[in-house]
Amino acid sequence: MAESDTTVQLDSVSKSFGEFTAVRKLSLTVRSGRVFGLLGPNGAGKTTTIRMIVNITAPDTGTIRLFGGHINSALQDRIGYLPEERGLYRRMKIVDQLRFFAEIKNIRRSDIEKRIDEWLARVKLPDWKNKRSMELSKGMQQKIQFITAVLHDPDLLILDEPFSGLDPINVELLKEIVLDLKRSGKTIIFSTHQMEVAEKICDDICLLNRSQKVFEGSLREIKSSFGRNVVAVRCEGGDGVLHDATLVSKLVQHADEAQALLAPGADAQVLLRRLIDSGAKIGKFEMVEPSLNDIFITKVTEHA
Amino acid sequence: MRKFLAVLKREYIQRVRAKMFIVSTILLPVVMSLFGLVPAIILSIDAGGPMRVAVMDQTGKMYARLEEALASEETPEATDRGNPGPEMAGRAFKLEQVTSIGPDAAAQRSQLDERLRAKQLDGYLILPPDFMDHSRAEFFNNNPGDVLSRRILQRALNRAVREQRLVEAQVDPKTRQGLFQSVELESVKIGATGEERDSGGSFILVFAVGFIMYLAILMYGQIILGAVIEEKETRIAEILFSSVKPFTLMMGKLVGVSLVALTQLAIWATAFSVFALYGVNLLASRGMKMTSIPGIPFAHYVYFALFFLLGYFIYATIYALVGSMVTTTQEGGQLAMPIILILVVSFYLFLPVSRSPDSSFSFWVSMIPFTSPVAMLVRIVTQTPPFWQIALSLIIGFGTVILIMWIASRIYRVGMLMYGKRASIPEALRWARQA
Repeated sequence: MAESDTTVQLDSVSKSFGEFTAVRKLSLTVRSGRVFGLLGPNGAGKTTTIRMIVNITAPDTGTIRLFGGHINSALQDRIGYLPEERGLYRRMKIVDQLRFFAEIKNIRRSDIEKRIDEWLARVKLPDWKNKRSMELSKGMQQKIQFITAVLHDPDLLILDEPFSGLDPINVELLKEIVLDLKRSGKTIIFSTHQMEVAEKICDDICLLNRSQKVFEGSLREIKSSFGRNVVAVRCEGGDGVLHDATLVSKLVQHADEAQALLAPGADAQVLLRRLIDSGAKIGKFEMVEPSLNDIFITKVTEHA
Repeated sequence: MRKFLAVLKREYIQRVRAKMFIVSTILLPVVMSLFGLVPAIILSIDAGGPMRVAVMDQTGKMYARLEEALASEETPEATDRGNPGPEMAGRAFKLEQVTSIGPDAAAQRSQLDERLRAKQLDGYLILPPDFMDHSRAEFFNNNPGDVLSRRILQRALNRAVREQRLVEAQVDPKTRQGLFQSVELESVKIGATGEERDSGGSFILVFAVGFIMYLAILMYGQIILGAVIEEKETRIAEILFSSVKPFTLMMGKLVGVSLVALTQLAIWATAFSVFALYGVNLLASRGMKMTSIPGIPFAHYVYFALFFLLGYFIYATIYALVGSMVTTTQEGGQLAMPIILILVVSFYLFLPVSRSPDSSFSFWVSMIPFTSPVAMLVRIVTQTPPFWQIALSLIIGFGTVILIMWIASRIYRVGMLMYGKRASIPEALRWARQA
């Protein structure tokens, strides 16, 4: 495949540390100009996969192709990486740190100052330029760390749990920036176990569990392949019907409504009729798309 | 290369700008000179004036000699050892002759005891009539802890007795003086270019180089350790490794911190030379003749610089290696202890190597990286070995530095992938191999 279509391609990649296999025979394709969600529970192998893509560690077997070529350290300059384990030099001024991170990414000297100012303005921290990072709040530091990943205008941006610990306003701010970057043609790999966030920004997803791929594809396809077998119900009474295992395999109670996952072969129409027959007062009965969270949980439990 | 320079620059500028650097640059020489001056000042405090000693000279001929000998003890030029040492700081003496009245010695002694108790005297010395034969005298005092004064008194007595015996043996004054004349041993080295007079100046320089190396390691080893651990503690390592190779990072850090060390040493050296020049001029203007700096070949200065750098880097890289294995500075501090021990051991090799610089023992220790800096310098100033040996020693040494840094960078990287686990030594070895 040409570089224009594919940014990253993993082919049967495995990596183990001693006895422990972190990634087993993983193949995946990250298409250019899209947001690729690398999802999975803790310890599924997401971080190891990313580290192999950014050339921090090499796979034991299998090949990784990046921008159409073999990975090498020169290609590292075209990647922006925000790891989950991240920090800043505590005593350094923000502007000095950003300058340092720019230099190790080979940005032209004449561009550095301009870009630093632009990005500080964009994350709304221009007044903190000459402060030491120990004076910044955790959320502010996180935004500075985000800048270190995007400062050199990378073609591939890899974000590992970028929003963890941020308040909703800043999550929104960074999310907008990520989507802006996507619109300008950048490829983004987004690793998280927060499904609500992934659902909103990912085009394609790959679900990892226990070192292996569970599925891969576009979010749209996955959702439709799952079918509409979830019913959002709000009613008074009818509890017996909702707990009938032949109709509902799983019932999740929310604050004012319940989500019922239909049992295999069960019909939503039958469920509705039974509820009416039982004399329940129905406020809401709606077929809904499964959330990514539901798909995630279903797939992971199936896989286990 | 640009990334290496970026890392180096960051390490250097951050550290040189830090208050700690400025404070320590100014403070250390002050503290050092205080350490030098304070003991001298304290020792020179002469509490209580001269020591009052009564002498009961039952031989009848020693008092004058003792007085004379004591007086010459107090002026350093006259002592036969040239170097008066710390005894100089002993108290001056004030003698008083007590004529003994034959058989009534006991009564006289109790009288002296009285005076001692009344603190009119600090001590009294009894030279029995047979003193010249048995050389045995008694010194009664109220402060047996004053070892210095007792030693001065004893030395003066020795001299006095010797003089007296020579007089009694009817040795003429000129021979007597000749007998006390001390020997001056001048060492002349036969080098390739002929005879060179060497009053040990280059030896002192080797010692100085070794000492400065020791000082630099002591001060900057921990800082290198801290610099290597910094990215682990602040969790920046992973961000860096997506841009910089671990080896580049480690070398940048090592060289950056080392330049800080050299900057500080250079500041001190400049300050010291300015003071020294000023001091020399001052003394010269007062008519003091300074011993000239011994003639040391220019090549030796180059070797001094090279082997200083070698020694410094070899030990500094071990700190970097330790830093790559641990996760906190505290752990590193404990692991780094043996390094200083190796350094001290290499220092003591000074003696055997200088005794036989061309032995095979000397050859081997001047090739082994950890001992070579001091050992090779000693060989160079004693019996300069063939050039290929010097070159080989440098190549082995700097090769070792690169090798250790390479191993350290591998351990560092795997250690980071292992989520901040501290490495045991066997684990570290395995990591270095697998990475």
